[in-house]
Amino acid sequence: MTGRRGGRPLVPAYLSTGGVARPSRPHLERLSVLTGAGTPAPAGLPAAQLALLDALDDGSLTVVEAAALLRLPVSAVRVLAAELIDRDLVLARAPIPPAGRFDPDLLKRVADGLRALKHN
Amino acid sequence: MIEIPDLATGGLAVGMLSALALGGGLLRAQRQQARQRAENAALRRQLEGVLEAFTAEVEHLAARRLPAAARQPAHPHVAVPGPLHPQTAGAPLGHALEQVLAGMQTELAAQRTRIDAAAQAGMRGATREIQAGLYRLQDALRGLQQKYDDPELTQTLFQLDHENEQSLRRAQVAAVVCGAWVGLAREESHLVDAVTGGQARLVGYHRVRVHNHLASGTGLVSHAVEPVAIIVAELLDNALRHSAPDTDVVVNLEHVHHGVCVTVDDAGLGMTQDERARAQRLVAGSEPILLTELGDPPRMGHAAIGQLTRQFDLSVDVSSPSPYGGVRAVLRVDSHLLSTIDPDERPPAASAPRSTRTASRDEASADSRGEASSTSHGYGAEHDDDASDAVSGHHAPRDAGGLPQRRRRSRVAAAANDVPAARTAVRRPERAAAALGALQAGTAAARSAADESTGDASTAVPGAAVPETAGAAQQRAEAAANDTDQTDDEGGTAR
Repeated sequence: MTGRRGGRPLVPAYLSTGGVARPSRPHLERLSVLTGAGTPAPAGLPAAQLALLDALDDGSLTVVEAAALLRLPVSAVRVLAAELIDRDLVLARAPIPPAGRFDPDLLKRVADGLRALKHN
Repeated sequence: MIEIPDLATGGLAVGMLSALALGGGLLRAQRQQARQRAENAALRRQLEGVLEAFTAEVEHLAARRLPAAARQPAHPHVAVPGPLHPQTAGAPLGHALEQVLAGMQTELAAQRTRIDAAAQAGMRGATREIQAGLYRLQDALRGLQQKYDDPELTQTLFQLDHENEQSLRRAQVAAVVCGAWVGLAREESHLVDAVTGGQARLVGYHRVRVHNHLASGTGLVSHAVEPVAIIVAELLDNALRHSAPDTDVVVNLEHVHHGVCVTVDDAGLGMTQDERARAQRLVAGSEPILLTELGDPPRMGHAAIGQLTRQFDLSVDVSSPSPYGGVRAVLRVDSHLLSTIDPDERPPAASAPRSTRTASRDEASADSRGEASSTSHGYGAEHDDDASDAVSGHHAPRDAGGLPQRRRRSRVAAAANDVPAARTAVRRPERAAAALGALQAGTAAARSAADESTGDASTAVPGAAVPETAGAAQQRAEAAANDTDQTDDEGGTAR
């Protein structure tokens, strides 16, 4: 699946996005999680977007994972994903923070707040 | 005494007689001499005339006929003038002069080929170096594309990559025209990848529409990959160049009896009869190519195609007009250059258009392949949805050629089987968000009942999955913290 295994790739990356490199929404990060919306793909979708949608068929993927699967640079996948999100075919979520990073103080304050609500 | 005068008279008479005889002889001699002189003069005149004619003929040969004859191989419309005097043509002189012309033309042709071969060798060497350099540049650019994902930088990298592809194409075509190898060994690849790769090498690649009607997994043997990409690029380049910028160029990939056809249609002006004949002659590759015949600047596309079709046993036809009004170019790849690639193991490139054949139809044809009669060819019935027999009839000869069909992903089957379960699993976070939203709305409603302030609780409508608002993100964080089975599921689906 690596780029070099098949030798020089025949199809350059810019073809996947039609030469566009600026995603329509800037917030997609490398670890943003993409999830298919489950709606059937409309006709006339560009091949690369269809391929991405296909890859998301089996579950959620981060942008980097999708890029590796499609053998495209991350930047190209971000453009593709942004276009699909614009068409409501894919949902994106901010990167899942690693477990254990929740601030105990914050959780404590939330719990206190909930308790305070309950007692009101 | 008398005898003396007699003698004298006798002597005189004799003397007169001899004088007369001598005089007569002299006269005769003089007349003969005059006649001979006149004859000589006439002969000399004649000789001078012949010499003059000969000189004039040779001068004519040097001034008019030789240049014309020398120009004729390069410009076939130039007519070589005949001899100055028509009667020379049949004479030995005429034959000799013709031999001069023929000898010169032969030598000139040999010279031309030698010079062209030298020029080709020089160009081959130069383009080889350039091509290698451009490949190195391509590697560097693609490395950068993988490494950085800043949009502005990527935009520049994409542009540079495209420029590089175009330069590469030019260098490669020049090298191929000069008889060089295509310059790159590729491994077995999907045919649609080769076509899409060729498309990417052109300025107007946006205008190309590729329709892939091949069974998935139809590949090219390794040595045919790059030639097919080059040929498709050149055919597409011609099509794009000779059609209006707002029209599309349509490419169809289809199975035919002995292989696969790549059809390129443009909606341009088309070619005249002469142009078409010349193009067909060039792409057939039956005649050796001379750089000097390709014009200035040299138009190498067709010549390169000709070289490749000859070397790699491909065939290209540009002789028919397109139904769109322009030119229809058909590249035929015979079965012995085709191979099968497992699309699950090595899927085609993401940008390559997927096959229009649906999984179910392929499976149907695969099932009925066994009993399919190889005699019927249902060519026209390919697009009938329910005509599996006709489809298999169409497939049968190709299958006999060793092309089993496999699908990359049976999406339809998967969707039919376990859509509900998969969907609920995938949707979990949004559902959780919606449920929490509902909780929040409920709380707000209860509060509003208490203090009669509606607030903005109505924004959190149950079921509205708005994943990227700040509130929803917060809810999700809480949901992730609370709902353990959901996070398990997340771990499962995120792979």
